[in-house]
Amino acid sequence: MNTIHRNLLSTTIVLLFGFGLFFTGTDGFKAFTAEEARLLKLQEEKPEVPDLVLEDSKRSSYTWDEFQGKYVFITFFYTACTTVCPQLETNMAKVYEQVPRESLGEDIVFLSISFAPDQDTPAALTKYKAYFGSDGETWRMARITDEGELNALLEAFGVIVIPDNNGNFTHNSAFYLVDREGRLQEVLDYRDIDGAAAVVDSYLKMEAN
Amino acid sequence: MKSFYYGSVLFIFLILPPVAELLESVMIVHMHMQMPLLIIAGMLMAPLFQKNSFLRKWNENGRPGILLFMLTFSYWLLPRTMDEALSSMWIEGFKFISLPFLAGVPLRDSWTKVSNRTKRVVLIVITLLSALMGWIYIFSPNQLCNNYLIVEQVTLGWGFWTMGLCISIYIVYDMFSEKWEESY
Repeated sequence: MNTIHRNLLSTTIVLLFGFGLFFTGTDGFKAFTAEEARLLKLQEEKPEVPDLVLEDSKRSSYTWDEFQGKYVFITFFYTACTTVCPQLETNMAKVYEQVPRESLGEDIVFLSISFAPDQDTPAALTKYKAYFGSDGETWRMARITDEGELNALLEAFGVIVIPDNNGNFTHNSAFYLVDREGRLQEVLDYRDIDGAAAVVDSYLKMEAN
Repeated sequence: MKSFYYGSVLFIFLILPPVAELLESVMIVHMHMQMPLLIIAGMLMAPLFQKNSFLRKWNENGRPGILLFMLTFSYWLLPRTMDEALSSMWIEGFKFISLPFLAGVPLRDSWTKVSNRTKRVVLIVITLLSALMGWIYIFSPNQLCNNYLIVEQVTLGWGFWTMGLCISIYIVYDMFSEKWEESY
């Protein structure tokens, strides 16, 4: 083999290696951050909601069976949050407004889950829900009092909550859509209100046909 | 062979778990100190590999080596690889192998072989990459790495711009040197 061919061959091998490296390292050029990789994995695995007991702003406690046969549109928040949560809940309210009235409570329930159960008592939740027009029925705000159950849910949905030392939390935010069988179907960008509403709409319409 | 000795001491020092953990605890140190030091360790170790005929034969004009360096280097610029180096032992191991041996060694072996023009292209590409990464890390509204806070991310972005500025100063300096005239 002459010199030119050798150089060409090794260049080709290097290029193939580089392509393979980037391809596998980014799940086929789809996930350039660990967060994107997490979302991609959730979309593929569609994890089930683990067993848990919710306590909502009306002090009612129930398991996921409460939502049997309904879609559930979920966000994770805590009431003392001053940064992203108000934005998250405001955007959730805007999606809520776009859902057809007749579907609310029948086909889909909105649910905001607090991950700070110690602070977010039913009374705190009642106060908080008023800011966003949540009616406590078709849009509920609830906490999971059992720490093990809460962590199992956060883990299953890949929600990362890092408490800082001042009673606040750093956390990743998204809209989560769980289907009628209790499986996570979609993780949506919470800043794209119309996009999320369109996805919800398509799921509800798909059922109608 | 002294060079190889220094390089391997540096390499072993860097992969000691407490040292690695300390360097990785701060985002900008992870990217702009640990990773470059690993490349430097590889460059210092390069003479041992150059004795072998493999590099002489397969990296004769230096271009495959430069390309391998650029690709490995770029891979470690991705926010995801930094996160995964912290969460996965395999990726962490790959970092310790790839940066010295797939970036450092080929860089030293190739640098004396390639033309001045190629060197300039490499420097310009690195400057542009630094500018781009700096821009991404400074202005991204999102937390790009789950293991580091946004404020660290912005610091890293400014680190990239500083590095880009330094390299571009060198490029300008180089333009006025005799080497430049010789090659054109």
